[in-house]
Amino acid sequence: MGSLLNLGIRIKDRHMWVLFVGPGVLLLVLVLGFPAITSLSYSIKPEQAGTVSYTLSNYGNLLKDPFLNRTFWNTAVFVFLSVASHMVLGLAVAMVLNSALPAKPLFRLIALLPWVVPDVVAGIIWKWMYNPLYGALNDLLLKIGFISSPVEWLSNPHLALFSVILVNLWRGFPFVMLILLAGLQAIPQHLYEAAALDGASKRQLFFHITIPGLKKMIVVALALDIVWEVRRFGLIQAMTQGGPGILTEVLSTYTYKQYFQFFRFEYASAISVVMTIVLLLISLPYIWMISQEE
Amino acid sequence: MRKIVAIGLCMAVLLVAFSFDLARAAQVTLRFSDWHLTEDVWNKSLNEGMDIFHKRYPNIKVTLEPVSYGEKETKYTVESAAGRAPDVFHVHAFSLPMFFGKGFAKDLTPFIEKEGPGFLDAWYPLPIKLMKHNGKMHAMPGDYMTMVLFYNTQMFKDAGLDPNKPPKTWDEFLEYAKKLTRDTDGDGKLDQWGFGTVGAKDPGFTLRFGPFIWSFGADYLTPDMKRSALDSPEATEAFKFFVELCTKHKVIPPGLTAMGAHDARTQLAQKKVAMIMGSGWTPPIVNKINPDLNAFEVLKAAPAPMKRKQATAIWLSSWVMSPNTKHPNEAWELMKFITSKEIELKWFVDNRVTSSRKDVSGVAPEILNDKFASVMASQLPYGKVEPQIKQWPEIIDTFTTSLQEATVGMKTPEKALAEAHERINAILAR
Amino acid sequence: MKTGSILQKNILSKTVLWIFLIVISVYCLVPFVWMLSTSFKTEAEAFRIPPTWMPLQPTGDSYIGIWVRKNFGIYFFNSTVISLATALLSTFFGALAGYGFSRFFFRGRRFLIGFFLATQMLPGVLLVGPYFKILSRVGLYDTRTGLVIAFLTICLPFSTWMMKGFIDKVPVELDQSAMVDGCSRMGIFFKIILPVVAPGMVATILFAFLLAWGDLLWALCLTSSEPMITVTLGIARTVGEFRIIWPMLMAGSLVGGMPAIILYIFLQRLLVQGLTAGAVKE
Repeated sequence: MGSLLNLGIRIKDRHMWVLFVGPGVLLLVLVLGFPAITSLSYSIKPEQAGTVSYTLSNYGNLLKDPFLNRTFWNTAVFVFLSVASHMVLGLAVAMVLNSALPAKPLFRLIALLPWVVPDVVAGIIWKWMYNPLYGALNDLLLKIGFISSPVEWLSNPHLALFSVILVNLWRGFPFVMLILLAGLQAIPQHLYEAAALDGASKRQLFFHITIPGLKKMIVVALALDIVWEVRRFGLIQAMTQGGPGILTEVLSTYTYKQYFQFFRFEYASAISVVMTIVLLLISLPYIWMISQEE
Repeated sequence: MRKIVAIGLCMAVLLVAFSFDLARAAQVTLRFSDWHLTEDVWNKSLNEGMDIFHKRYPNIKVTLEPVSYGEKETKYTVESAAGRAPDVFHVHAFSLPMFFGKGFAKDLTPFIEKEGPGFLDAWYPLPIKLMKHNGKMHAMPGDYMTMVLFYNTQMFKDAGLDPNKPPKTWDEFLEYAKKLTRDTDGDGKLDQWGFGTVGAKDPGFTLRFGPFIWSFGADYLTPDMKRSALDSPEATEAFKFFVELCTKHKVIPPGLTAMGAHDARTQLAQKKVAMIMGSGWTPPIVNKINPDLNAFEVLKAAPAPMKRKQATAIWLSSWVMSPNTKHPNEAWELMKFITSKEIELKWFVDNRVTSSRKDVSGVAPEILNDKFASVMASQLPYGKVEPQIKQWPEIIDTFTTSLQEATVGMKTPEKALAEAHERINAILAR
Repeated sequence: MKTGSILQKNILSKTVLWIFLIVISVYCLVPFVWMLSTSFKTEAEAFRIPPTWMPLQPTGDSYIGIWVRKNFGIYFFNSTVISLATALLSTFFGALAGYGFSRFFFRGRRFLIGFFLATQMLPGVLLVGPYFKILSRVGLYDTRTGLVIAFLTICLPFSTWMMKGFIDKVPVELDQSAMVDGCSRMGIFFKIILPVVAPGMVATILFAFLLAWGDLLWALCLTSSEPMITVTLGIARTVGEFRIIWPMLMAGSLVGGMPAIILYIFLQRLLVQGLTAGAVKE
């Protein structure tokens, strides 16, 4: 039996979870409850006030929206490539920083720096750097000789989305790197030593010790990064506002437009409901994995 | 143990922050918000204006709430929806239909009536019309300017063009622009282009596109604003002309869809383009970007070129009173003050913005003798404004999407415009 | 034996490693070099075409300007207080909840874990309006406290998920042997779990700190008066209607990044603590 902070109050140990999980749940329900319900209820209100009190017309409009298809696709591409590149680069850098290397603290700091810039600011700065006329990036590449004429990073229809993703990689991989680095620290060194003594190759060490040891953290990083990249707004808005055309329009910028530029609160809510449901479905496997009883 | 210290520390931090908040005394004052407060020159001017106001109305205190330009609609929307908007705030006239539609602007009719008959006669008719919702005044007009053509006389001379003969028609404009797009240092690469403009989804876009579409004799919507008018041959002509400036004649620097108003001005300042559309704010900003250019000497203004008739876009700002204001009478005094003849003239002298008051813009010698303001004021009668309906932001967003798709070569201008036409009709049909 | 080829492989892999490190470092640093360079330029030079990497007339004016002309002192104070409070509270309560989810298998556990994550799937754009209404009703509008509470609700689920991941890796035997020794659950939490998951807390603390620091939308909508402005909001203000004051924007961004870096340097010794703290005696 556990006693509550030695106050002499006896609570059965198996009920102690309330003490641990309770405060968090309380905060979320109290603070988020009202806003969540309000905004969701907007989605079944009619756009033109006066006719009926509740309607599914907003969802109907979703199906008729000529831009939504492309927006969904862009979001999927953006999230997939961002998260994948975060994981690959984050893991690679984490492993390098976990190995025997001089000046590790310095490189760790360098790898963390991009994360320190707020994503709106990063968007503004990179947009400037990408400019064909006075951008630093084209200037640098021209000077080195990588390119012969300025690249239109953000206006070339084939490049635009990838230019944005490149910035998102810059800004976002440190987070994954840090989680995986902490995860790598938790893998006991003697596992590697024993396997190496048995003659295991580097590849075998990686796939049979490192990856399984990191599995939980990879799942956590994946789930969190996916949800976050679907929410990514400031970066894209600052860089392209969804353009050229709708080539970089994602769900977050589109919802923002509907709500704050077109004042279509009801429609924006309907899009958000759909987005939330899709996200929930995608994250179900992760929730399952992370809550496995070991 | 360390963790308990850490928790104690952060509780202390929270407590300090919280107590700061409680200690702030409640004030009975007016909240005034304007994005101009984040601009150095305007900030000084507004503060001076407020000092004058405080001297005249010692019982009213005005607190100034700056807001960043890009975020102002977001902020005012959120605040208004919760009934907590500033007492008086500053918005673009094109935002008004949305604010009116949601009931975020107070009806000013009772206050205006108290001022006596003919109070509104001091203003130009178009701004007054734009402040009305269901026939009643719900906002007061502020700065009123027209878009004109700014050009670099030195670059004209270097290209063999007469700086005293700016292009009068769009066809002439194209010829000039082609001559001004050249390689000045002989290295085989273009160093300057004829024209700089906005291609991004920026509020500055319609300001710079208006002169094209309207002077060709077309418009975005039909006069009853129920259908799109983009299927007219004139609209196609105007659209195609603009797109081809970029795709066919290449008189605009690369990267149009990422260019905002800042970029156009920077290009002019750095002699990368010879002509841009601009207004009262243009010369001082260009000068600040590149003092070596000597903007006030080298630049000249001319009416926007035309195709079939003279038309240009107007820039109009407006003052809104929050319907939830606790001090409507005092708020009205403030609004009356900032739009008064004396203070409107001050705004021009300090910030180079012309006023929506006839008794300032049409009459004041400071304006009539100013090299740039005189051109702007002369174009006020030809000013046109976008359709004032609440779906306008969505309509122009759709239109700009199609324009961008055409300028980057994804679709032909005809196809892009036809799509825009269809989509806009769908929006209006909702 | 195979010493020769092992040496070859070692040199090759060491070179590859170094090349990789250098490439990544360049990728990370180039924008910062540009930011640094621009921050020392005059406003006019910042607009030069083609751009200059070495300022022709270097001036520290923008660094002075942000403090003197733009109230950065206040912004800094606000951002630091808010972000620190968010980081510490979110990590602490996240660890608490993470422990609860990790060690206890109660009914509805899976649902609650999912619930925590699900609260993050609603876009902030939609929540900010109703949230603003609540705050003004309880008198917390335009306060740092209101912002901290808002950020907490965004950070807490993520902190919980992250901490649970790290706590899961701590063998239950540690808990059990401590309980046998008469330690209470809370005691185990503070004395055994937290020290061991310290490396994981680094990421969690930094994540919450940076989220609060870098936020624009909530700070914009939930505050209005000058004494409450945060650094990120202040930087957004340098993008005006008419011009972007680039040197100040860069100076502000660089200076604004300092607290996070200082926090990281302070925390980084935790990163290298492994399972050695609180190990079970085998």
